[in-house]
Amino acid sequence: MASLTLRRWLGNFRRYAKSDAKGGVRVMPRSIYILPTRQGLLLAVMLILMLVGSINYGSNLGYLMTFLLGGIWLNAILHTWRNLLGLTISPEGAASVFAGQTADFNLRVSNASTLDHFGISLKCKKQVGESVDIPANEEALLHLPIKTKRRGELALPEIILNTTYPLGLFYAWTYARLDLSCLVYPKPASRGEPPSLPVYSPSDAGDRGVGADDFIGLRNFRPGDSPRHIDWKAHARERGLLSKQFGGDRTEQVKLDWDLLTEQAPEQRLSQLCRFILQAEEREQSYSLRLPGQMISDGTGLIHRQNCLSLLAKFEVGDATLP
Amino acid sequence: MQHSLEQTLTFRLMLLLSLFTGLAILPHGMNLSLPINLYLIALFGWRLSSLYLPNLQPGRWLLLLATFGAIFLVYSHYQTLIGRDAGVALLVNMLLLKVIEVKKRRDIYVSVFISYFVVTTQFLFSQSIAMALYLLMVVICLTALLLEINRVKPSSHIHEPILKTLIIGIQALPIALILFVIFPRITQPLWNFTTGSSAITGFSDRVTPGAISQLIESSEVAFRVQFKQPPPPTEQRYWRGLVLWDTDGYSWYTDRSQPVGYDSVELTQISDPIVYQVFLEPHNKHWLYSLDLPIAAPANSRLSRDFQLIKKQPVTQPLLYNGRSATHYRTPQLPPILRRRALQLNDNVTQRQRDLVSQWQARSLNDQQIVNEALRYFNTQPFVYTLTPPRYINNAIDEFLFEGREGFCEHYATSFTQLMRIAAIPARLVLGYQGGEYNTLGDYFIVRQYDAHAWSEVWLEDRGWVRVDPTAAVAPERVNYPIRLNFGEEGSPALFNIDSSGFVGSIVQQFAYAFDSANVQWERWIIGYSREHQFNLMRSFGFNIFTTTQWGLITIGMIAVSLLFVGLHITWQGKQQQTRVKRTYDRFCRRLSRLGISRRPYEGPLDFARRASRRRPDLAEQIMRISDHYIQLRYAARSTDMAYPLFARQVRKFRPRRR
Repeated sequence: MASLTLRRWLGNFRRYAKSDAKGGVRVMPRSIYILPTRQGLLLAVMLILMLVGSINYGSNLGYLMTFLLGGIWLNAILHTWRNLLGLTISPEGAASVFAGQTADFNLRVSNASTLDHFGISLKCKKQVGESVDIPANEEALLHLPIKTKRRGELALPEIILNTTYPLGLFYAWTYARLDLSCLVYPKPASRGEPPSLPVYSPSDAGDRGVGADDFIGLRNFRPGDSPRHIDWKAHARERGLLSKQFGGDRTEQVKLDWDLLTEQAPEQRLSQLCRFILQAEEREQSYSLRLPGQMISDGTGLIHRQNCLSLLAKFEVGDATLP
Repeated sequence: MQHSLEQTLTFRLMLLLSLFTGLAILPHGMNLSLPINLYLIALFGWRLSSLYLPNLQPGRWLLLLATFGAIFLVYSHYQTLIGRDAGVALLVNMLLLKVIEVKKRRDIYVSVFISYFVVTTQFLFSQSIAMALYLLMVVICLTALLLEINRVKPSSHIHEPILKTLIIGIQALPIALILFVIFPRITQPLWNFTTGSSAITGFSDRVTPGAISQLIESSEVAFRVQFKQPPPPTEQRYWRGLVLWDTDGYSWYTDRSQPVGYDSVELTQISDPIVYQVFLEPHNKHWLYSLDLPIAAPANSRLSRDFQLIKKQPVTQPLLYNGRSATHYRTPQLPPILRRRALQLNDNVTQRQRDLVSQWQARSLNDQQIVNEALRYFNTQPFVYTLTPPRYINNAIDEFLFEGREGFCEHYATSFTQLMRIAAIPARLVLGYQGGEYNTLGDYFIVRQYDAHAWSEVWLEDRGWVRVDPTAAVAPERVNYPIRLNFGEEGSPALFNIDSSGFVGSIVQQFAYAFDSANVQWERWIIGYSREHQFNLMRSFGFNIFTTTQWGLITIGMIAVSLLFVGLHITWQGKQQQTRVKRTYDRFCRRLSRLGISRRPYEGPLDFARRASRRRPDLAEQIMRISDHYIQLRYAARSTDMAYPLFARQVRKFRPRRR
């Protein structure tokens, strides 16, 4: 417990890689921390043994070799430090995921110097990212996978850029805070049918029934549908028996409404709505989404889906109590 | 795909690790016994074959068995597991076993670190330049492996990490040297293991017929001497080692129960003292060598009554000391007890020896003439100087004098000394070296084992102790031009039969001298670096007033300064090109501003290029090309092959004229 308090207190003095104008951060000389690794300590012990042996046998070449390796040991501090120095990390984006999935934060680490940097790794809390070599004047895209738990905006936590190159005797690291977040959609609930109401929206041309217009989407097969309207291709893809709908005033439009899912807790409702959106997209149905105080009207397609899911992700549960 | 530093080890890495540790162990083959060597070879073979045939990779139990096998083998051979020889044998076995079981990166670190240790233990056996260079190479290769496992993609060629290791090593060199010079040397070992006996050639303190002729087959260096003034001629370069007073009729020695003592002896010098510096190879004995006759003892040693230099500890490290000698001298009175000792005879004296001596006595008026008679006898009788005398079985001196008459310096010296004693002239035997080869490059003399020599000293009433070399009477060339052997040491490659008169011969000679000079510096400053050196060095800087704490602080300070330099150097390194690119671009901007087109502070290179192109359409192509190039070099994400030189050339060629 005490160590936790101490650590938190020490955190106040923590140095971070310096932000640059382009939203990235640059590793500055004084933002690098360095400590010997287990191997570094092992070599130190070996060197002490070698020194004792050299003293005992009065071996001057033994001394020389021990001191040379000792010098290399000390020098490794500088080289490990140098291997991190001057690198810049810039946010490259993170694709949205559903809660429970692993968010993939993309970070670009660039080496604008003429010195090769090797064995650069990214780490975030316990999550170990991949390692890369970044030759002079090159850059590398690093993926930092972070497990998501709940929906909403997931900001990239404090990350640690680290290295043990060249000799593995020292571990150098730097803390970086980047303005990068990943939108986490609600976890989709299990499949089911939305409680939908066929809607009649009168048009200027009058009630034209169903099937008069162009193809507008798919809906579940109902006994009585013309076999000619069954989407056999979808059936072949094992998506179930679906009927093609053609435009008209009485086509089935999926209306996803918060208020229609009365029996469920708020988060559950969002999960359910998320699933319905995915289903509607799958069936190429047009759908609208209504949340308390917010509304996205009919539409299909990726952008529409993204808008709807984002709405779900960002929805503040407190809003539900609003009239 | 996730790249991680913890991925499995590649075949190449394993092979290199095996080879490099093999190279680290290799020189120990000379120090270890045959069964242990065979066991090591088997382990190494096992390692290599299991690399190619993974089925041969041993399990834990088999490895444990092999470990016990190694311990048993070492223990049964040395009867111990500690100490230099047994310790090294065990360590080397453990290293190979570790390399066999390597699975993870962590194991590579451990193997490399143990290899460092193994390399360092080799210096307990051999300290030559060649060995040091070889082991340095091995250490660099081993360290390069560490670089290799700390990067993700393996290097395209092994020279890449080796080069980087060299850089790190060279940067570490100042620290190593600072510590080497300053770290206090302790003269006594912390604890004493019985060190393995490695034969060191040199005299023993007992001369038996044939002892020196064995020595003479070695061309190893005994010591080197540098004179502060013109060196004495060859016939005066007798290097006095030890004096033997007593004989049992077969061998000559000095009875330890009757030490001669260190009472100060007052010597009458007739010539000016000769000052010189001796650099002695370790011979594990207490005595030092000096030009006949020493008049002062160097540090940590004493001058005995019979003019031997005796050191308190045996010489186990190369030793540098100052000598002071007089080539012409008169020694003081001989105390009765020593006179008696110098006349002591054994029962190997025969009647024909006595007859010979009484003939000389009959012809002589004084002792000096008897000595001359004896020398004349050796000179006129058919005595032969040979390295391979016949074996004298019963009474060596008698058989040599009257039957064989073939012998070497020890035969002449021992028989002469005995004959003098029969003539009631106090005499003693002296062992040492004679002559020495001059190294023109280093301006010093090299005295080798084959310069080993024995001679006599006789007491003459009016002159004191006088050196008499009966060998010179038989083979004067032995003294003036010491023999040069055409064969090398046993087991060593044949030596050049150096004939320095020819052109090639003189070049070979020059190389040999240069090599020996390098060796001297090496042994003097590296291997022989001692507490005395340390004190002298510090004193020469005027530093002896500091305390240990202050010394520690100074050491840390110097290391810090060295690290600071390295740190500044490597920090500055990577920025170099960027500033170079920027500098060149600035020159380009300056040339444009001479035309009245100046870059505004807020203007990016592309905007500036566009504006400049609009102003001077005739230069547009050039301006755009240079600017593109600059942006590529400076800002491009991916490094391009378009290197700086091309950019620089374009800027150099850009010499617009005013319109």
